Amino acid sequence: MPIIHLEDVSKLYGFGDATTLALDEVSLDIEEGEFVAVMGPSGCGKSTLMNVIGLLDRPTHGIFTLNGKPAAKLSANQSAKIRRDTIGFIFQSYNLLPKMTVLENVALPLTYKSLSLTRRIRMASNILERVGMQSREYYLPSQLSGGQIQSAAIARALVNNPKLIIADEPTGNLDSAGSRLVMELLSEIHKMGNTIIFVTHNPELTRYATRVVYMHDGTIVQDEQTAIGQVARTARQGMYRTFVTEEDDLAGVSALMRALPGKPAPKTSKKPARKKSKRKTARKGTRS
Amino acid sequence: MKSVTKGNIKAAVASVRTTKARSLLTMLGIIIGVASVITVVGIGQGVKEQVSKQIGQLGKDLITIRAGHTEAASLDSVLNQTGVSSTGGLLTDNDITTAQHTFGVAAAAPLAVVPGGVTGDHTAPSSVVLGTTSALPSVIGQGEAFGSFFNDTSIDSDGAVLGANAAKQLFDEDVPLGRSLTFRGQTFVVRAIMNQFDTAPFSSEVDFNNAIFIPYQTAKALTNNQTSPYEILVKPNNPSNSSSVETALQTNVAKNHADPNDFTVLKQSQSLLATNSILNLLTRLIAGVAAVSLLVGGIGIMNIMLVSVTERMHEVGIRKAVGATNRQILSQFMIESAVLCLSGGIIGIVLAFIVDVLLRIFTSLAPDISWQVVVLATGVSLLIGLIFGTAPAVKAARKDPISALRNE
Repeated sequence: MPIIHLEDVSKLYGFGDATTLALDEVSLDIEEGEFVAVMGPSGCGKSTLMNVIGLLDRPTHGIFTLNGKPAAKLSANQSAKIRRDTIGFIFQSYNLLPKMTVLENVALPLTYKSLSLTRRIRMASNILERVGMQSREYYLPSQLSGGQIQSAAIARALVNNPKLIIADEPTGNLDSAGSRLVMELLSEIHKMGNTIIFVTHNPELTRYATRVVYMHDGTIVQDEQTAIGQVARTARQGMYRTFVTEEDDLAGVSALMRALPGKPAPKTSKKPARKKSKRKTARKGTRS
Repeated sequence: MKSVTKGNIKAAVASVRTTKARSLLTMLGIIIGVASVITVVGIGQGVKEQVSKQIGQLGKDLITIRAGHTEAASLDSVLNQTGVSSTGGLLTDNDITTAQHTFGVAAAAPLAVVPGGVTGDHTAPSSVVLGTTSALPSVIGQGEAFGSFFNDTSIDSDGAVLGANAAKQLFDEDVPLGRSLTFRGQTFVVRAIMNQFDTAPFSSEVDFNNAIFIPYQTAKALTNNQTSPYEILVKPNNPSNSSSVETALQTNVAKNHADPNDFTVLKQSQSLLATNSILNLLTRLIAGVAAVSLLVGGIGIMNIMLVSVTERMHEVGIRKAVGATNRQILSQFMIESAVLCLSGGIIGIVLAFIVDVLLRIFTSLAPDISWQVVVLATGVSLLIGLIFGTAPAVKAARKDPISALRNE
């Protein structure tokens, strides 16, 4: 039985003329132990899909079962407990509490489990050691680099030993070194049998995944199995590029580009352009 | 205690401490409310104690015949202290004689206020001239510190006896025996200085420390017989039969008056009762006004908690994403507002004790802060925190995790 089963799941935002279709009859099964990368342009519904799977949001239509349990029947309280015990979240903007130390942040899910303080600290400390952050236990998030903060966030996601890890652009705000650190951590966790779903824009990161799902306009357009260590075929071949260009990250700019056919994007030297796009996505990420 | 609650209390204390200035401003309403309620109730208690001490000093068996109709626990009994009876009754010389001759009476002394200013070396604006007889010291059980009280013979008709404060005000010295003072154009010679009396602020009794006693007959002569006693103090010869003496006085004095409402016979215990009930009334009234500021303080707490909840919506989202239930979020914010109010209450209590000390140093008041009031104030401030913290906490708890996370 798949750990995640989505059947014709739709999610609508707003109503009347302003209705947005974030997910359009998505059907997806994810088995236990899979390492799934979700790719697609901004606004294609990746994050909404993550939120639905992570029980943070409810689908408007369709069937979603998690671990065989239909999500529609869960109360807010039950959802919270499932989030606490079986799901670990990793966000692009880290979402650590700024006034708490790394250790306190990591121990946060445990506080809601009513464990004793000493046990919480021991468990959080162990998990921080696993992600290589033990020497930073008493730092505040603001005193750490992006990669270190995300490592702490991963530790927080892992502290309850969840079956399912959901990472919404975990490397979105990180440089290449930080990205590698985070992805290697995730791949280690995957080796221990956890199911991981992560969202990314970077085709290179599909090397870590066992399966890549491509989304566009709220639907899944391609779903391929891939070998660990290789960039997924679709992503590599540039088929991905037919519907996701670098400029797609800047939704407003890309819309403008499409409105002027025949005029390719002005090509400047490669490096600054990439840098620029990275920065913009980063900022967009924190805002959304 | 559940560790979630413990953690919430810790976090709440930390949050109050990190935003010190804002927390203090938020708590201000509670601080002022708690401090003023405790102080007002303390002053009320203190004054009650002082009054009962003052009355106790005059003797518990003392019986007072007052002019006019005095009902226990009415404001009349306060207004009547000057002898300006609103119900028109006046005591007469007959009543004094009747009282003196009633069976079981050891001594009776009239007290009559004689209006006018006194001049010695200086004037004494706060002093009161009382016409009385030589029986007064034995009736009130207080002796002279220096000299001896005037007797009722005509030789002593220009004698005056001063209360301790009046002596100091008029002559700048403690023992101005033999000095002379002028009152209504007549010169009096100081014959004695009384011992210091225990006094109580807001008391319905005249402050004898500020009194200048002159012979009753002289007072009458000075005012063309217009003087009449506002009260006659009667001491029974045996404390145990003060009740029977009271009844006897009631019947005997009634024979001198056509209207039974012309006068009132009171035992000390009764006049204490009257004073106490008025003080209670006043204390409750002022404490009620102060309690309104507690209510306003509670609204301030609610206001700031609403702001805090809105500001920390993102935090709420994170906590919910990692598995906090609605109830856990609710209790977090409830506890925070309770901690805020409780700290305010404790600061208020400390402030009240400081005010207490200052009042004792700089005024004649001696506030008496009872532990019951302190416990009550603490409880009330905690309750306010819980009541006014509910709305903001519910707002935070009900927020959908996704929209909470979107708040930055």
